[in-house]
Amino acid sequence: MNKKENRYMGEGIKDPGNDMAVDIRSVFKRYRIYHEKIPSLKNTILRRKRTTFEEFLALDNVSFTVDHGQTLGIIGPNGSGKSTLLKLMAKILQPTSGEVIVNGSLSALLELGAGFHPDLTGRENVYINAAILGMRKRDVDKKMDDIIEFSELAKFIDTPVKNYSSGMYMRLGFSVAINVNPDILLVDEVLAVGDQAFQAKCYKVIYNFMKRGKTIIIVSHDLDTISDLCSNVVFIKDGKVEDMGKPLNIVTKYRAYIEELEKKRIIEQQSIERKKIFKTVIERNRKIVDGEEIAKLTDSSVSGETIKRFGSGDAEIQNIKLLDSKDMEIDFCEYGDNVKIVYKVLFKKRIEEPVFGIRIKDFRGNIVYGTNTRLNNIKTGIFKKGDLIKVIFNQKVPLIGGEYLISSAVAYKDNMTYCDWVNDMFAINVISRKIAEGIVDLNSSIEIKNVTGR
Amino acid sequence: MIKNLKILFSYRELLFSLTKKELKVKYRGSVLGFFWSLLNPILTMLVYTFVFSIVLRAGIEEFAIFLICALLPFNFLSNSVNYSTGSIISNSNLVNKIYFPREILPLSIVFANLFNFLLELVALFIALAVLGYRFYLFLYVLPILIFIQFFLVVGMTLLVSALNVFFRDLQHLITIIMMVWFFGTPIIYPLQMVPERFQFIIKLNPMTVYAAYYRNIFYYIKYPEGAGFPGIMETLIAIGITLLIFFIGYFVFKKLEPRFAEEI
Repeated sequence: MNKKENRYMGEGIKDPGNDMAVDIRSVFKRYRIYHEKIPSLKNTILRRKRTTFEEFLALDNVSFTVDHGQTLGIIGPNGSGKSTLLKLMAKILQPTSGEVIVNGSLSALLELGAGFHPDLTGRENVYINAAILGMRKRDVDKKMDDIIEFSELAKFIDTPVKNYSSGMYMRLGFSVAINVNPDILLVDEVLAVGDQAFQAKCYKVIYNFMKRGKTIIIVSHDLDTISDLCSNVVFIKDGKVEDMGKPLNIVTKYRAYIEELEKKRIIEQQSIERKKIFKTVIERNRKIVDGEEIAKLTDSSVSGETIKRFGSGDAEIQNIKLLDSKDMEIDFCEYGDNVKIVYKVLFKKRIEEPVFGIRIKDFRGNIVYGTNTRLNNIKTGIFKKGDLIKVIFNQKVPLIGGEYLISSAVAYKDNMTYCDWVNDMFAINVISRKIAEGIVDLNSSIEIKNVTGR
Repeated sequence: MIKNLKILFSYRELLFSLTKKELKVKYRGSVLGFFWSLLNPILTMLVYTFVFSIVLRAGIEEFAIFLICALLPFNFLSNSVNYSTGSIISNSNLVNKIYFPREILPLSIVFANLFNFLLELVALFIALAVLGYRFYLFLYVLPILIFIQFFLVVGMTLLVSALNVFFRDLQHLITIIMMVWFFGTPIIYPLQMVPERFQFIIKLNPMTVYAAYYRNIFYYIKYPEGAGFPGIMETLIAIGITLLIFFIGYFVFKKLEPRFAEEI
């Protein structure tokens, strides 16, 4: 047994190996995902092997135990392996390796009304459904009245279930399932049945079940339910047991994880939406750079928002790019990254000591930052007609997450008249984990001190 | 295998319920109900009788009775196999959500068809009685015969229902296979009509032997194990092949069963 398992057992579940309702021992479950959904006889015979497939590890060395009489909650994000785990306990699936040991009769509520036949009446379906769940006919006969009463479907019980609403269908399914009375009950997201009153009834049944010392294993996304009902909680992530223990600790931990996930999702979403808005702008500007006439304007005062490109045209900006530190082209970066803003300049005339600059603006058009070779006291030298040069700005990006636009310019020596100025020609996305207002991250560290009565 | 039988026995009520459901669903919503299932063999019988005794003039006395004695047991086999091929896939909601021995699904279809078959036999008895056949003389052989044929049917249904989960085109293939099997069994023709050099192959088909037994009981009214066909040797071979098919079906099914839920 490895260290990790030991810790979990110590924290969450006492005394392994003794009188366990469910014992899960280093279980792996690997699914094959076939690229061609249904293999055909022809392919199998002719190629003597099946179409290509990928393997997906749904459960990765999962171990835990459940005591008799315990109510265990299993939580985790979608696709983390919760349902696979339940199906293994219910013997619907077999583990790829490892062992699943179940002591006692087990009933799984993975789907309510599974196997209801639409043409048969409610009553007939109750018999079949109960038999599927492992109930004897004489027991069903005895409990029939209870089942009908609980489902509140007395009027419709002899109507074919195809005429039922989905709520009625679920209610009947639930009523059958809870009357099966196993030692161990597996519940997968089926407690959200019917209206408030019916739900309250369902919870009461579950509570009664617990009181009678039965073992319940619940999978749910409803964390309040989990906290209320469970004596222990297992948190599963990517097929592994992330943590387990008392519901309060684990649910809190899971909530934090979910929030983190949600934040990331929102940031990504925002970045995608902004990208959509800017896409048209960027495309238009790129077109300009790709060879449209440069407006023959040399007056710097008209560097307004409306004009995308202006200047004498004696030098031309081309091919602006954002590169990461490994010189790979990117269109987004993370807060604090070192990136390179690169563009090329083609000279049409001899120019002495030109000034190369960039300007970064935010979403609303505020200038976030601008710099040029003159401000940095760089002698650029003399260029003759036909020279093609590359200008590289090595940048750090201490910006709050969002979308930013880059403008670039080549000016004459006076830095007042321009050979070429391209406005908002390139957009970069900054992804930031920090959430703050404004543009620049001023790296706050916050302290709170109680100064009452000082 | 004993263990599996025990488990299966503990699920007998489910098997019973599903068989009942199978029958109910089949006849619900149709006025004539069960009589539809009688109509099918009767119509088949009429068509073949017309073709063989009026058009082709095969010269077989009471061709209708000659035919139906072998047709009914074959229908039991072919209906069971045809309907059960897709039984695992069409019950994917159950297979995916609830554990129970999966063989119950094809078995419930076999039992539903067995029930139909027995009712058809009762109808046949009535017809035979009216026509003055002394069908009851050797009737005591019938339960044993049905019991043995049952193993063949179960073996076949287990085999095709399990394989069909992995090779879906089997569903289409099986109808053709059953048609070939139908014509490869002396049902619309007597065995004597088959040229000597082919008789060997036809006799290896266990259904040939069983059809001959049914015919001996109902049509020829002669002691089924008397002189002529089928002799002791042929009977034993047929039972041997039946058991072989049964065990192949059973072990293939058990081997593939754990992967059903993942594949469908």
